[in-house]
Amino acid sequence: MATNARLPRLAPAPPRSIVRSLLLTLPIAVWSLLMFFHPGTHTDPKSRIAAAMTALFMTALFFMMMRTGKTYRWRRWFFVTLGILFPVGFIYNMVIARGTMGIPIEEMIAGRTPFCFMPIPLLILPAALTKTLVFPGSILSSGRGIAAMVGLWLAITLVLGKGWCAYACFFGGIEEGMAAVPSRAKIRKIDPRWRYGPWAVLLAMVLLSLALFEPAYCMWLCPFKAVSEYVAARNTVGLVQNGIFVLLFAALVITLPLLTRKRTQCSFFCPFGAFQSLFNKISIFEVKIDQTRCKSCTVCQTACPNMSLSKESIARGETLLTCMKCGACVDACPRQAAVWHIKGTELAWKPERARLMFLYSAWALAVMFGGSIIAQGLVTILHFLA
Amino acid sequence: MVAFVVFGEALTLGLVSGPACIAACGPVLVPSLLSERAGVRSHARYLSAFLGARLLGYLLFAVAAWELGALASLLPAPRMFLMGAVNVLLACVLLWYAYSAKHICGPSCSESKLVQIGATKNRGVGGAAALGLLTGLSLCPPFVAAGVRAAELGSLAAALFFFGAFFVGTSVWFMPFVGMGCIARNQAVITVARMAMALIALYYLSMGIAMLLGRKGYGY
Repeated sequence: MATNARLPRLAPAPPRSIVRSLLLTLPIAVWSLLMFFHPGTHTDPKSRIAAAMTALFMTALFFMMMRTGKTYRWRRWFFVTLGILFPVGFIYNMVIARGTMGIPIEEMIAGRTPFCFMPIPLLILPAALTKTLVFPGSILSSGRGIAAMVGLWLAITLVLGKGWCAYACFFGGIEEGMAAVPSRAKIRKIDPRWRYGPWAVLLAMVLLSLALFEPAYCMWLCPFKAVSEYVAARNTVGLVQNGIFVLLFAALVITLPLLTRKRTQCSFFCPFGAFQSLFNKISIFEVKIDQTRCKSCTVCQTACPNMSLSKESIARGETLLTCMKCGACVDACPRQAAVWHIKGTELAWKPERARLMFLYSAWALAVMFGGSIIAQGLVTILHFLA
Repeated sequence: MVAFVVFGEALTLGLVSGPACIAACGPVLVPSLLSERAGVRSHARYLSAFLGARLLGYLLFAVAAWELGALASLLPAPRMFLMGAVNVLLACVLLWYAYSAKHICGPSCSESKLVQIGATKNRGVGGAAALGLLTGLSLCPPFVAAGVRAAELGSLAAALFFFGAFFVGTSVWFMPFVGMGCIARNQAVITVARMAMALIALYYLSMGIAMLLGRKGYGY
């Protein structure tokens, strides 16, 4: 197999001019202003400062994407910031509202738990068939908030497919940050069968949820309970549940990303990610491998944080179903063989235009959804600094 | 006439509570079926063993229900102990079944097109029967309802008859699972099924141990 060092590296595309990059960034700048400064949004200076900082941050990152032609590096800044600031704002609000991060069963039954997108696969069918929300959560006093969230998720998912996991998920940022810390992976050889883990967790959790009439994943396996809301334990089993959350978080979100440079929780465990992968079949955006340029150096495979490329898939000129369109492979390919693509068009058809169309959709979502979470986290920090 | 009424009552109870039985047995049945070789015949064979053993579990329960008067009204502690023991056994069988499925994926799954003679073999029906028996002994809500009714009947034969009819009613809902044999098998399907079985087994094991120790299964 050819190694990267032996390959003739194609000259990278020159950076765009500043003026052209600014013009391309203009729609996102306007969108950011609309999102963060529509009338009646901010009542105090701290939230105005946080909104301005977030709008500037998101616009600057998009500008750098346009200027450099790179996607992953700049998206990662956003994503890690989102992952860090989500627990900050969330925990603060939890403590203000409830006085603790622990949720007792009475609160769950009363529907006073915050909404989480993770159980969406579990609640769609019961909600459609019986008008019942099996997950005891709400973001408003009624189910309207959840309906709005599910509608928003569905619209975004139909467009981006598994891109949700790289531009919207507020859980993945911590492990992506951890994966970025070491310069080289300590563990490089990973059995590819672990890639089936999320599907197994999804199957097991859906079946157990049906059998037990409870959201089994939330009750037993969610690693992010460690940084959001834990079980208000009243006996030994409750302590065991919390212990499982902390152990899974420590292993899958902290330790393994440090050792492998991969998003291990997403790659090997997250059932929502597996469910989300199915929508890659519907989404019009995808990443393809141009076989006329590819020399099978597998640099893209190494760069992929989600193990969504294999030698076989590269030979077929495509990513695996689990690709989250983060752009790592496209940025890493020395021969520009990994390209953004719109289904139904020829592979050679202006990949940069496909990238732009995808990024406008994805970044508009990032500003609207992730940006508001970042702003909330910043408000909390400013509150403490003041 | 009385027998006819009892049969109708048990059959109706089985038919209406079938979906609950499917939900209760799903974590065991679905992944273990997915770990079988593709084909309607092999699935029919598995389901026959599973349901046959489940019937045996039902009848054993019927004997116990009648002998003890009303097993469903057992004190919470022994009932929890019984459930805990069943859960631990179920977990052990599931783990063994997941392990034994490693040779299922044969020529149809091999990445090369070479035929691997002897790479696949039919598994015996012992595993399916053990899983069926243990799920048959589980105290799921419809099963408890049937147990309470059976305990009120006048004779052991009537209790057995009642549970037999109840079994027929619930089994109707299991028939579509034969269709899972039409799902093509490859390494991905088998691996996912095995991993899911292991996860579900861990769940049953932890719940079983908690129950054996006299703890509640929930921490809230």
